[in-house]
Amino acid sequence: MAKRPGGELATRPLHFIWIADCSGSMSVDGKIQSLNTAIREALPHMRAVADENPNAEVLVRALAFASGAQWQVSQPTAVADFKWTDLQTNGLTDMGLGLRMVAEQLRMPPMTDRALPPVLVLISDGQPTDDFTGGLAALMQEPWGKKAVRIAIAIGEDADTEVLQRFIGHTELKPLQANNPETLVRHIKWVSTAVLKSASAPASQAVGLAAGLNVPIPAPPAAATGPQAPDDVW
Amino acid sequence: MSGDPVTGTAATGWQALRASVRGAAHRRTGLPNQDAVRIARRAVANGADDDDTPALVLALADGHGSAKCFRSQQGARLAVAVALQTAGSLPLAAPPSQRKRWAEEQWPVTLVRGWQAAVTRRLERQPLTAAELAALDEHGRQQVEIQPTLAYGSTLLSVIVAPAFILYLQLGDGDLLTVSADGTVARPLPPDARLIGNETTSLCAPRAADDIRVYCQTLAGAPPALILAATDGYANAFRDDAGFRQVAHDLWTMLRDEGEAAVSPHLHGWLDEASRQGSGDDISVGILWRAPPDGPPAC
Repeated sequence: MAKRPGGELATRPLHFIWIADCSGSMSVDGKIQSLNTAIREALPHMRAVADENPNAEVLVRALAFASGAQWQVSQPTAVADFKWTDLQTNGLTDMGLGLRMVAEQLRMPPMTDRALPPVLVLISDGQPTDDFTGGLAALMQEPWGKKAVRIAIAIGEDADTEVLQRFIGHTELKPLQANNPETLVRHIKWVSTAVLKSASAPASQAVGLAAGLNVPIPAPPAAATGPQAPDDVW
Repeated sequence: MSGDPVTGTAATGWQALRASVRGAAHRRTGLPNQDAVRIARRAVANGADDDDTPALVLALADGHGSAKCFRSQQGARLAVAVALQTAGSLPLAAPPSQRKRWAEEQWPVTLVRGWQAAVTRRLERQPLTAAELAALDEHGRQQVEIQPTLAYGSTLLSVIVAPAFILYLQLGDGDLLTVSADGTVARPLPPDARLIGNETTSLCAPRAADDIRVYCQTLAGAPPALILAATDGYANAFRDDAGFRQVAHDLWTMLRDEGEAAVSPHLHGWLDEASRQGSGDDISVGILWRAPPDGPPAC
């Protein structure tokens, strides 16, 4: 065949960012260990979903917030190469700072307008101790922050679901409640597979008519049967 | 399979090619090609002028393909059909100011109304079925029942080339590029900042005519050497914008130096490769170009 016109071809990047609460309370009743285990166990499933769609390049990062915030994996890393390093806990819940740091990474540049909508997964067991409103505003000021698929997981009864709902920004999608390790595993797996699959091949949506989510999200795993299930520990 | 040359366009000195491929992701998931592209010569309203030189009209559309837009393949086809039809009311011989007013004010409204009317007629013949609606969630079902045209949602790009001017129109994502005789690549319409991710303005939106952007290019000097219109699956297949703009430049170089035979037999293959190794989306292009006087003859 004759030489193809144009420059280098490339699949579309899909940025997937874990934003994890590592405050002191996450050390209670094994929450942080359960989170580390759940994400590590979800990675093979995530890779399998990514393999199903070779036109999306799934790039994973992780940010931890506690007293301050820092990137655990700062570079967008191909899901095939992504390795989970166990998170450690300390201090407060600087969620607002965490969102600001994510917002910086969603600016254009370094992001490009040909990316797929990013997936942001916020996991927390408590209430922000810093300027959450300012952090969320910084995130939503970025076009890709606004268009991101934003999922929140509340660990335990003390999690501030109102704050997590504000992060999600759509009434039709609620924070996922995890009050025990099994439920947390289920939620993490759902985000890593069903949500990732939807975000990696989104159909076009008419501006102003989507009335909420710009990427259709499948139904999340069934909630526990009551506010307090027998096996709840958090 | 080759690109499709458009015959009978020599009257305006322009040649044309078009091609459309089903996206790699659509093949994996069993979805059809939801793009449409047509190029045709159209007789246009010329008032008292006896000049019957027709305009060359390119129309290209990308059906949204979302769950709620489950008939967007038809919506895209109707969009290009209406675009070719409405070009017939272009006041070719009118003064430039009147022509500009038609392009900026009447053309968008005529297009949107024409598309809505065509969709309504189609719905009368083929009402939405219970099975189609059952596939939607409650919210989506309510939306489509209130506004059935949503099922046909599509973008639209159109170019009308007349002897003294060129009109460019865009609603939604996709790209229009021009190449000058010296090889400079340009966008006749600036990028729309609203179109990020998978969101697009659309023919099915309530204020679609207001979202349409138009550029009137009066040909005081040399017209562009090549015009490329493409659905967004093409630009999204390249690592960066420079790589996509290079497409227009390379196509012009090939057509200028070697003629249509250098492009036409390969066009489908190139688009298919771009979809497979790039965006995965349907890709459609319309190419208009002027063969240089001393260049190779067109096939």
